[in-house]
Amino acid sequence: MIKKMFALSTVLSGILLISGCSQKKEASDINMTSQTRDVFAMDTFMNMKAYGQNADIALSEAEKRILQLEEELSVTNETSDIWKIDHSDGKSVEVSDDTAIIINKAIEMGDKTGGALDITLSPVLKEWGFTTGDHKVPDEQTLKRLLENVDYSKVNIDGDTVSLPEDVEIDLGALAKGYTGDEIMKSMADNGISSAIVSLGGNVQALGTKPDGSNWKVAVRDPFAPDTDMCIIEIADKAVITSGNYERYFTADDGSVYWHILDPADGYPADNGLVSVTVIGDCGLDCDALSTALFVAGYDGARKLLKSDPSFDLILVSDDHRIYYTEGIADCFTNISSMEAEVISLD
Amino acid sequence: MTKGVKLLIGAVIVIFAAAVVFAIIGSKPSDSTWVDIVQNNKVIYHLDLSEEKDRTFKIDYPDGGWNEVQIKDGHISIINADCPDHTCIKTGELRSESIPIVCLPHKLVIRFSDEGAGE
Repeated sequence: MIKKMFALSTVLSGILLISGCSQKKEASDINMTSQTRDVFAMDTFMNMKAYGQNADIALSEAEKRILQLEEELSVTNETSDIWKIDHSDGKSVEVSDDTAIIINKAIEMGDKTGGALDITLSPVLKEWGFTTGDHKVPDEQTLKRLLENVDYSKVNIDGDTVSLPEDVEIDLGALAKGYTGDEIMKSMADNGISSAIVSLGGNVQALGTKPDGSNWKVAVRDPFAPDTDMCIIEIADKAVITSGNYERYFTADDGSVYWHILDPADGYPADNGLVSVTVIGDCGLDCDALSTALFVAGYDGARKLLKSDPSFDLILVSDDHRIYYTEGIADCFTNISSMEAEVISLD
Repeated sequence: MTKGVKLLIGAVIVIFAAAVVFAIIGSKPSDSTWVDIVQNNKVIYHLDLSEEKDRTFKIDYPDGGWNEVQIKDGHISIINADCPDHTCIKTGELRSESIPIVCLPHKLVIRFSDEGAGE
């Protein structure tokens, strides 16, 4: 009996010692230098944090890359690839590798989601005023006319050469920030950083873990109270990207609320039961494209896609105030809202 | 049960309870009361909200424009600004470490600071 007790006390003391050691390690890791940088680009607030001796240089390189991408992808900058494509009058345009990669991904995701993601919605978004800030509800006839030129399959791309029929315009806003996140991670790694986290207008992407080896804690906003957090998930080396109806919207004179994620099927704000879609995965570009597409596709569309491609995780919020998340993040998901949360059943 | 066994059990319970308490205290993030007001990557104010008196003050943006910051009952917010969209005002009081108050046109950010943030 005494022997058993002694063994037990040894084990428990061991646990105490181990936890004492990990506390100590954490304390020394906190001393690892970290630097942060704010970047105001792509019409968004971006914040980057990197750990390690080379952090300052890595942040400067990442900032340069962001500004380069902004120049290539901007809809309003007259020297951007997108401007050139949208004003090409049907002629072929040479674009950067970045632009080509994003366009190819947009076409792939359009195909994968039955057209729920369509980069040729640009003229419709403009008509609603979401790109200019001059919001209005378009009349039916105008919408119908504009929708005739909405079809991403009309975008031709061969290597870095892009061509569009006249009257078709593209906007890569649904994918640009995701791609930017990936490129920041690459730039950081190239500069010797192994621990970094960035927030690009609420989209979070992490390189590695925190310096102490623990996961990053990422908060996802409550779409019904966007100044508060809804849940926390713990991640390492992942992107967490949300599309929500609270991000950009306006209230019309009749009191109706219209948001910026449009359904390519009818040109109206997508209203298929979801108010927020968060996609968690390895690739920011994929996650960004999917968050928009699945917002349009709704719960059933999201389930369908999960069945064919289970390589990412989701947190969905329905308009009746319920949270649905995938089994894959069950262990690292903490609901801190008053909404009920349940695992998405794929059976 | 001998006295030795009882003592041992007692010691084990005390050690284990101490370990549990230590683990809980050690892992719980404390709520920060420190905030930074940052203009274009320069920290212009570093404030402990728990010590600050209620007040409002104006922050000018060198390229033109201003924001009016309010500290009230240990909370901070932007209550007025001459920017076009007023997103900074709509954000309301600073509550979350992951959601800073941001005024894009004036490159102004108010966020909880690392010091005492517990993360």
